Amino acid sequence: MDILLLVSLLLPATAGICLLLGSFSEHLRAVKQEPRKLPWLPPVVAVVLTVSVALVLSAAWTGRRSMTLFTLVDGLPVYFKVDEISRWFVTIVSVIWLAAGFYSFVYLKHEGEEKRYFGFYLLLYGVLVGLDFSGNLVTMYLFYELMTLVSMPLVLHNGSREAIMAALKYLFYSMCGAYGGLFGIYVLYRYCDSLTFTAGGSLNMTSVSGHEGFVLVGIFVMILGFGVKAGMLPLHAWLPSAHPVAPSPASAVLSGVIVKSGVLALIRGVFYVVGADFIRGTWVQYTWMILALLTVFMGSMLAFREQGFKKRLAYSTVSQVSYILFGLSLLTPMAYVGALLHTAIHAVVKCGLFLVAGVFLYCFEYTKVDELKGLGKRMPAVMWCYTLFSLALIGIPPTAGFISKWYLAEGALKSDTGVISWLGPIVLLLSALLTAGYLLPIVMKGFFPGEEEDEKHSGKVRISWFMLIPLIVLAALAVLLGVFPQILTGYAVEAAGVFGWEVGL
Amino acid sequence: MNEMRMLFVVLIPFITGILISVMKFRSRKNMLLFTEVMAILNSILVFLLLLYRPEGALTVFRFTGNLSIRLQLDGMGALFAGMSAILWPFALLYAFEYMKGEKGEKTFFMFYVITYGVTLGIALSENILTMYFFFEMLSLITLPLVMFTRTREAILASRTYLYYMLGGAAFAFVGVIFILTYGCTSSFVPGGVMNLVKIGDKTNMMYLIYIISFCGFAVKTAMWPFSAWLPKAGVAPTPVTALLHAVAVVNTGAFAVMRITYFSFGIRLLRGTWAQYTVMGLVIVTIVYGCSRALKETHIKRRLAWSTVSNLSYILFGVVLMTPLGLVGAMAHMLFHSFMKICSFFCAGAVMHKTGKSYIHELDGMGRKMPRVFVIFTVSALALMGVPGLCGFVSKWYLAKAAMESEDTVAWIGVAALLISALLTAIYMLTIVVRAFFPGKDFDYDRLPDVKDPGWRMLVPLVFFVVMMIVFGLCSGQVMELLQEIAAMSVS
Repeated sequence: MDILLLVSLLLPATAGICLLLGSFSEHLRAVKQEPRKLPWLPPVVAVVLTVSVALVLSAAWTGRRSMTLFTLVDGLPVYFKVDEISRWFVTIVSVIWLAAGFYSFVYLKHEGEEKRYFGFYLLLYGVLVGLDFSGNLVTMYLFYELMTLVSMPLVLHNGSREAIMAALKYLFYSMCGAYGGLFGIYVLYRYCDSLTFTAGGSLNMTSVSGHEGFVLVGIFVMILGFGVKAGMLPLHAWLPSAHPVAPSPASAVLSGVIVKSGVLALIRGVFYVVGADFIRGTWVQYTWMILALLTVFMGSMLAFREQGFKKRLAYSTVSQVSYILFGLSLLTPMAYVGALLHTAIHAVVKCGLFLVAGVFLYCFEYTKVDELKGLGKRMPAVMWCYTLFSLALIGIPPTAGFISKWYLAEGALKSDTGVISWLGPIVLLLSALLTAGYLLPIVMKGFFPGEEEDEKHSGKVRISWFMLIPLIVLAALAVLLGVFPQILTGYAVEAAGVFGWEVGL
Repeated sequence: MNEMRMLFVVLIPFITGILISVMKFRSRKNMLLFTEVMAILNSILVFLLLLYRPEGALTVFRFTGNLSIRLQLDGMGALFAGMSAILWPFALLYAFEYMKGEKGEKTFFMFYVITYGVTLGIALSENILTMYFFFEMLSLITLPLVMFTRTREAILASRTYLYYMLGGAAFAFVGVIFILTYGCTSSFVPGGVMNLVKIGDKTNMMYLIYIISFCGFAVKTAMWPFSAWLPKAGVAPTPVTALLHAVAVVNTGAFAVMRITYFSFGIRLLRGTWAQYTVMGLVIVTIVYGCSRALKETHIKRRLAWSTVSNLSYILFGVVLMTPLGLVGAMAHMLFHSFMKICSFFCAGAVMHKTGKSYIHELDGMGRKMPRVFVIFTVSALALMGVPGLCGFVSKWYLAKAAMESEDTVAWIGVAALLISALLTAIYMLTIVVRAFFPGKDFDYDRLPDVKDPGWRMLVPLVFFVVMMIVFGLCSGQVMELLQEIAAMSVS
């Protein structure tokens, strides 16, 4: 029993549950009441969040901790273990959570029901930490399901009919995915030595022999299932509905972090339980690659056509997360490193983009792309951040996006996957062009709106530091990680090293 | 004397029932107190029986030759009896509040208590004839309960109920006759009683008879294509729907199927034959069919009833895998499903009792009016979906594990069906939850009837069931070990 690990899981979750109970009992006592001011709430949440992040990070980065809580079923314990992948993901989650959390303090005045929001926000952080620290597939599945259930109320936060329908859609797609994953877990439980994560997997070849076809089907269903959370074709439709309707900071964490849980689950399932060697060269790998590439292209196309700003960003997430999935599906060291890098970089960038969209919503109630004109003069700092995020997402050096895409393309070219080894980079490039096409016009119109616009919209608009600082920090990260890539690449290469892979450029 | 105790636990509910109808009670409260005390007393006796298990069998009545009414307690029977003994007192407590103000309460409680005895009779049956006897009796005793409200709908439903039950019994009877003819004995013997010499080359006929009797007993579990009666029977008062038509009666069907499969025909005769695949196919179809119908249904009790149809077929799926592990999964789901489904039915009943509303679109925003009931309902919904940490996950895990280990294509399809059904379950349960808690921002709470959570008589059973779901979900180890022992005994 590792106390630090346990506390870092329980602290945010308990705080969240307390807030939720408070909010619920308030509803029960007084049905009709003016929304009360809650001056104590932001400081309390800020303290809890900061302390938990500090605890989580210290638990993650000091030693290889592990802990068994109790046995859930059939000799399968709820088991936590900190390894290279946990550290990577939990750090991403924590950084994003802090940024979006501080941003929320001001933003949520706009939305109301702050207690409920922060309750679920903190609880979800606890659940995600649990997910990242999971040491076997069943524990991971437990937190995966919880994550869906806890994040659903963030989607329907504003209570409009559209939001509720989107939340239900999110819930059912996610459940569908989770059950697909569960099918894979059932299969793997039968054919693996253990469901504990071990680098390279633990498939028992003697019991598999004769049933390869079935095991592959199981793995494929698992990939499709966990792919739902990552917005992979054919079950991506929930993402553009659910992400835009949430309050902007919630959209930011949904798009930046929650979708990455699908990526985490795939890494765990494919690389740590099955083992990459088993599916290399099979129809499973090829179908996976093709689906990922199709999603990359289709997501960008849809984003390009979309006029709602947040919805455009959501389609962009569909496309960008499939970059990561494509990197994973190649099953080569270089592409794996690229996938890990893109996980981190996309999280930072997409979180930032949604927070920018939130600023526009908060200050002007702008939701359409056409409305975003002349904003470069009214809020230059925000617009500059947006520009940096855009460049990073497109992948223009020296921003961070360039590094990850470089590794992905290089990984594809070096793989022996036939047509895909050169088709992949082409699709990535096309998609990057489309990305430029759907992000940069806003920059152009922001700084150069044309003459007739100047009259109508003028005057600088100040925004709160609580909203601005997270944006600046994230934008700085998006650039600095590109200028000093060794911080990320060094660690990612090390993480690929556990499979005995050596990565050199 | 030791064996006589088995007869007592079966008879006490009968006597209580008769006393309720003949005795003059000074007030309603006295009648309820009497009923509850007798039920608890009987449950205590059942638990004593389970703790100090009588070894021998008790012949109550002998017709002729080896045809007799005999009682005996074995592992599987103990599980079923123990489950009933836990559920009945709680269900009665709930019924006291639910039935308040209804006409003909006395008759209701009379039959309600008697069903307890009949169910125990089925659990304690030593041979196929005894089981068949109690099985028939259960159909007849529950009939007045279905008819209770005496509306036209209720009478039509009870007619359907009767036809299905009698039809099923007729099919089952064919099986009984053949078991008596081709078996070495009429008793239940682990591993089966079939006399292979007598059967000779008539194995295909025996497979057919197995399918016929399987279907006959499975009418009670509402297996497709015999499932129409169960949603209709939902017109009965909720305590009846919850305890009998979601748990006792339907589980009796599953229990009978376990008995004939493992103790009469024997899995050695059946495993790997077309008979197994036929029934497995029917069961897999039912798993998906029940859920799809539940999704379409807008009446909350009928929706839950269709969900029962599907879940009971989970149990049957475990049974027809015909491996010890499959039986473990089946028994686990029988046990856990009872708690989950009775809990969700009781929640639905509490809402109907308080507000008179029974359609799902009428439940918008009710989560704020009756928070406790809806929180409990949410837990039961999550359990039914199979979220880890609650008991539904455990039983599904074992069912899927058993199916995987059998390395059989049909069983693999069955696992897929389980998961499809889990998804549909999520959809039809969580829409209710989301509606109740998040009706939308423009929702006018003043429109709702002014109701509160129900009183302690309804809440105590609900809280107890939730605790059981969580306990079974988190520490299933010992229960599963016990079930594994029972399964091992039932197969050898």
